[in-house]
Amino acid sequence: MKFQIAKEAFLDGLQQVQHVVSSRTTLPILSNVLIEASESGLRLTTTDLDVGVSGTAEAEVSKTGSTTLPVKRLVNIIRELPSAEVEVSVDSKNVASIKSGPSFFKIIGLPDTEFPPLADFQDAKEYQIPQNLLRDGLKKTSYAISTDETRYVLNGIFTSFKEGKLTLVATDGRRLAMVDNDLEFPASHETDFIIPTKAVQELQRLLNSEGDLTLRLSDNQVCFEIGSSIIVSKLIEGNYPNYRQVIPAETKERLTVGREALLETVRRVSLLSSEKSNSVKLSFGANELGVAANSPDIGEANESVEVKYDGKEFAIAFNPDFLQAPLRALDDENVHLDLIDEMSPGVLRTEDAFLYVLMPMRVTS
Amino acid sequence: MKNEQDGGRSKEKETSAAVDAAGSSNEVWEKVKNKLNEYLSADAFSRWFKNAELIEDDERGAAVIGVNSDMQQIWIETNYMDEVRAAFAEGAGIHTQAFIRVLGEEVAPSVKKVARGSASASDQVKVVKQDEESPKTVALERKLKKMGINPEFNFESFVVGDNSQFAHAACSAVASGEGRSFNPLFIHGRAGLGKTHLMSSIAQQLLISDPKAKVVFLTAEQFANEFIEAVRKGNLDSFRKSYRTADIMLIDDIQFLAGKERTQDEFFHTFSGLLNTQTQLVLTCDRPAHEIQQLEPRLVSRFESGLTVELQTPGFETRVAILQRKMDQWNVVLEDEVIFHIANLIQSNVRRLEGALTRVASFSFLSSEEMTIAKVDDLLRDLIRDENSRQITVDAIQKAVCEQYDLSLADMSSRRRPASIAFPRQIAMALSRQLTNHSLVEIGEAFGRRDHGTVIHACKRVEQEIEVNTEVKAVVEKLIAVLQR
Repeated sequence: MKFQIAKEAFLDGLQQVQHVVSSRTTLPILSNVLIEASESGLRLTTTDLDVGVSGTAEAEVSKTGSTTLPVKRLVNIIRELPSAEVEVSVDSKNVASIKSGPSFFKIIGLPDTEFPPLADFQDAKEYQIPQNLLRDGLKKTSYAISTDETRYVLNGIFTSFKEGKLTLVATDGRRLAMVDNDLEFPASHETDFIIPTKAVQELQRLLNSEGDLTLRLSDNQVCFEIGSSIIVSKLIEGNYPNYRQVIPAETKERLTVGREALLETVRRVSLLSSEKSNSVKLSFGANELGVAANSPDIGEANESVEVKYDGKEFAIAFNPDFLQAPLRALDDENVHLDLIDEMSPGVLRTEDAFLYVLMPMRVTS
Repeated sequence: MKNEQDGGRSKEKETSAAVDAAGSSNEVWEKVKNKLNEYLSADAFSRWFKNAELIEDDERGAAVIGVNSDMQQIWIETNYMDEVRAAFAEGAGIHTQAFIRVLGEEVAPSVKKVARGSASASDQVKVVKQDEESPKTVALERKLKKMGINPEFNFESFVVGDNSQFAHAACSAVASGEGRSFNPLFIHGRAGLGKTHLMSSIAQQLLISDPKAKVVFLTAEQFANEFIEAVRKGNLDSFRKSYRTADIMLIDDIQFLAGKERTQDEFFHTFSGLLNTQTQLVLTCDRPAHEIQQLEPRLVSRFESGLTVELQTPGFETRVAILQRKMDQWNVVLEDEVIFHIANLIQSNVRRLEGALTRVASFSFLSSEEMTIAKVDDLLRDLIRDENSRQITVDAIQKAVCEQYDLSLADMSSRRRPASIAFPRQIAMALSRQLTNHSLVEIGEAFGRRDHGTVIHACKRVEQEIEVNTEVKAVVEKLIAVLQR
């Protein structure tokens, strides 16, 4: 196998796939990238057996073939090469020679036959999804994924294709983020599954704002085809808990506030929220929202924001990080905060189908 | 999780008593619910607690609240544990640790089994298994070694006899994920009977069916050392985290915790945290839980709350089977007669049995001399002597003590109590407790029908004396040495 490639193209291709490879693998082959050279260019593939990523890179292939090379090391080498052109040739023993300008590297690879192939998705259900829809949906929900491994069903995004809607949900037991979008798919394709966090991260790296992606679903695996790139992932097995139970049925007060104004205020004020309680207090008055924080030994901060509100006066406390996360992920101008009382969860909504349930903190005063 | 741990510090024992005092559990639950209704908003209460039920669980001394859905469990556990505890305390006067459990389907066992890594291997995994059998097993072996597990300890290599049938069955059930109700699984038996073997088998089996399972396998001594290290370095948090996220925790030689109060305390919280999340726990010990001295009662009761299995000394047939298995493994052949003889000589300890076989087998291999019974006796003479004197009897102890203090054997069981007799008698009782497997009652019986309280008192007294009086200490040590010779 032999090919010539532009340094930047090679580096881009490798960086697209290298995140899947973990530094502690049980099998040596899993720290390698599978490089397949054909007339049309290179295909690069990595996997950790749970998630696999594959992408392409343009190259001038003079001799087709395939091999696997340690990806982390390869990336480090390519990045440091002095010239913009790289020539790679691999012998039958999987030893790769890398030439670029005056420098020469030789690295030892493993045979491509050892590399576990990505799962096959023939006869799988197929869905077409606009890339920006999925990208925005993941952005607006992924921060709420639980990292508590004892609740593994929550370690991913619940994805549901039901009633002409694509619904994405993430929760960690203190908050819940949900996005609903209309999407066309055959009625026979109604289903739901849980995409693990790692696959979500890879997806977020590869998704663009234009074009569609193809999602294929088999029994316990899912595949995303984005242009020439592919992500294959196992699904989290198990039943996602009934998240609808968390969403308050009816709320009493509604407050409308500029998203950025609220985000900035909360960020500033939270500088003085104490480590122990880690909360900011929101007090509602007529068209005014006061945000306050204090830590007994350090000091206090408060700021007021102009809002639209004509409900009763009361106060509620939230974890500032949990309050900021959705505000950061959204791009709407205004958000609505729906509340019942200081003990009940608050619900953050936008004009379109985004919803965020957040448990209040106990106010100890 | 943390919240519940703190609750554990309050005296669980009060629970059952208080439940009685407060009337039936229904009344208790009504009171607790009323309190919860006060603490929470109406919406939250009706959403999460209205249809919840109280399931009594007096054995473990904890309150279990049954709910209808996973989400209810998750939400209550993350948000309302403080309120629940407060409601129990103020509403019903019970200080307890509460557990939330989903009623009906026991959180679908199938779900948990295939959790990560999935047993129903995907195409990817299958290919790896077929094409890379050797690297895979090598990887597994390396992993096991790293965890301190002997890769040879698996279910296949365990010889099942009458003595171990039940223990073996229980362990296989746990390893295959069927033994969910056997939690914790407590294996006890004397040294060298295969406790560690069985426990390693469970770990190995689990890692084979799910290579990503987080298996924590360690001795109680390691646990204690790591705990001390964590205290010293002040990173208790990460210490806790590392254990409390396990899928299964296996702890060898739990008797090592005896007398280590702080470690026991920490262990208790880890232990109940894991039980709480229905994580499988497996423990081994060289004696039944209630016989471990200086172990907190709340730990004892928790150890006994699951399934307790005993490994007994193997019978003759089993011993022969073990020897034959070993011979197959080492590829040696010995006369049946010789095998039977070894099996007859060494009765108490499988490890020693294997040692004896090694010695005989290697001798016959090296010398190419015909192996005879007399030759075996000669080779194993030290083991035989040890085997025969292994069982220290109360009689032997009494005799040794009498000799030491120049008393007559009758003094040991007489009612006379001058200090010159009473104290040696107490030493003899303490030694009997320490060196034999007799229960307190049996020991009391052997010392002129004294009751077990007297024996306990004797043990404490001797222990105190040893601390303050070096002469007593020297005498006791000497006696132990004499007896064990």
